[in-house]
Amino acid sequence: MDGRIVGAIIALLGVLAVREGRRLYVLRETLVAGAVVGDDTFPMIVGGALLVLGAYLMLAAPPPAARVELPAGLTRNRMLVGAAVLIAYWLMVPWLGYTAGTAIISVLLYRGLGGYRWPAAVLLGAVTTGVLHLFFRVWLLQPLPTGVFGA
Amino acid sequence: MDVPGHLVSGFAAALTPANVLMAFVGSLLGTFVGVLPGLGPTAAIAILFPLTSVLGPVPAIIMLSGIYYGAMYGGSTTAILLNIPGEVASVPTCLDGYPMAQQGRGGVALGIAAIGSFVAGTFGVVVLTFFAPLLADQALRFGPPEYFGLMMLAFTVVVSLSGSSLARGLAMAMVGYLLSLIGLGLATGEARFTFGFEPLMSGVDLIPLVVGLFAIAEVFLGLEEARVTIAGKITNVFPRWADLKQALPAILRGTGIGFFLGLLPGCAPGVTVFLAYDVEKKLAREPERFGRGAIEGVAAPEAANNATSSAGFIPLLALGIPASAPLAILLGGLMVYGLQPGPLLFQKNPEFVWTIIASLYVGNVILLILNLPLVGMWVWLTRVPFGILGPVILLLSFVGAYSVRNSMFDVAVSLVFGFLGYFLRKYQWPLAPLLLAYILGPLLENNLIQSLSMSGGSPLIFVTRGLSLALIVVALILLVTSLALVRYTTRRVRETTADEMAL
Repeated sequence: MDGRIVGAIIALLGVLAVREGRRLYVLRETLVAGAVVGDDTFPMIVGGALLVLGAYLMLAAPPPAARVELPAGLTRNRMLVGAAVLIAYWLMVPWLGYTAGTAIISVLLYRGLGGYRWPAAVLLGAVTTGVLHLFFRVWLLQPLPTGVFGA
Repeated sequence: MDVPGHLVSGFAAALTPANVLMAFVGSLLGTFVGVLPGLGPTAAIAILFPLTSVLGPVPAIIMLSGIYYGAMYGGSTTAILLNIPGEVASVPTCLDGYPMAQQGRGGVALGIAAIGSFVAGTFGVVVLTFFAPLLADQALRFGPPEYFGLMMLAFTVVVSLSGSSLARGLAMAMVGYLLSLIGLGLATGEARFTFGFEPLMSGVDLIPLVVGLFAIAEVFLGLEEARVTIAGKITNVFPRWADLKQALPAILRGTGIGFFLGLLPGCAPGVTVFLAYDVEKKLAREPERFGRGAIEGVAAPEAANNATSSAGFIPLLALGIPASAPLAILLGGLMVYGLQPGPLLFQKNPEFVWTIIASLYVGNVILLILNLPLVGMWVWLTRVPFGILGPVILLLSFVGAYSVRNSMFDVAVSLVFGFLGYFLRKYQWPLAPLLLAYILGPLLENNLIQSLSMSGGSPLIFVTRGLSLALIVVALILLVTSLALVRYTTRRVRETTADEMAL
């Protein structure tokens, strides 16, 4: 992420904060008579600071000394698989339930992220799911999503 | 009740079997995560923080403190044996610890690190016991403008956490403040930055944010790093008398430097460890031994690291100012339990504070007991492949983010910040200022609004009240001091690792 790009994003966040502050200011003027400060004050200050810093980072800040290299090849593929599996986990758990969802996802994580062969990934996934189920459901009694299987 | 009386009652509570167990489990888990290559105290607390959410406030904070101390020590194991510093505070330990391990003296280095950590940690807690209440005694003199001054003082920490670019650190801090604004406004209860999206009404919770930025992002960063398996076996961790005699002055000097500089809110362990190391090198008769396995090169920075970590509890508990990222998470933990660290904490919740202080003594002893005899187990743990650790951390992160409010929205938040955190860290945008500002944001805003309401909107209120003015002046002085110290440390980190690391 180039400093200028992040600077622009930070400046945009500043615009957003100032706009929200402005909306809250109008609301305060309408609803709370005589108040000199309110919910709009801090967003305005933060928004102003974000605008200044964003502009500085975009226009004047020196680039960092070290060059950043993004991962490539197998590492990048593993990271992408890991990210996709996590998103799938988020989508799956409300429907399948925590334990069943974890069983599937842990196998996929060991396979995709860890690079284990399927039999090892299944074994590791089963052990991990069992331990997590015992720890969170049985011992800590966490109210985790149950899904269609009720578990 | 006086300090000894409070301390005795604190020990009575801290030594109950349940609380000793929490200190033990915390120290064990903290060391466990700390010894995993590449994971430092911040990641350790982030990963394990959600597990404490099922506990009451006292056992949870005892456990979190144990995790913090344990992870600090665990970091030295990977620094000595694998030449991998979990955080910048472990970098100087690598310089002489790893050569000692290569010479077959890894056990001695680990032993000296444990003893140095124990001495420094205990010294820090003793001073905390007597000094923090004095600082907190000023409580009744604190009104909103003074609290605002305190928040300004806390803001100086951002400088020391910014790494090599202050502008980037400040920008991240402002993003943290912005995140803290999401939800209902403090003054009128009006929704802010929610854009009509209902789950945002209750704001962004601390735990999903921390889990995302420091645990999930850590896994993705860890995938890129090459892992080195340690060769050789650690047999004896008990140093010889000659080793102890050689290391003791360095431990004492490291303790002094670490502790007294650690009292400054802007001075993180990453700063003091390099100072302690450089002082030892300057005082040494044969400075050329440093970098080749000098025992003082392990003893001094390890003692400084733990002394600074202990000293950090003083501004944390007495003023509500965290000096480092893990302490910021700890502060967040206290706030999750409805406790507001700062001058009033000692008056409003004395039982809580003194139990925590007593538990820090207990935790230090537990760590010494854990670290010396169990070093073989920690060494074995450094060999656990990342292919197993990564999935386990991600699965724990998922359930941790969910279980705080039983919300899939929180899980989504942790995933978003996990992916974002990876890129931000990869491109050297410091995350600790964001976290600090996010935690302190509501306090800063509240005191700012109250102060300005008192003064009819005039900001002069902050400079016309003695204590508030004094705090702002101290903040300015610390700002300058922190800038100088950060420049020094950044230069030393670059010299040592040819890399940039957040402090």
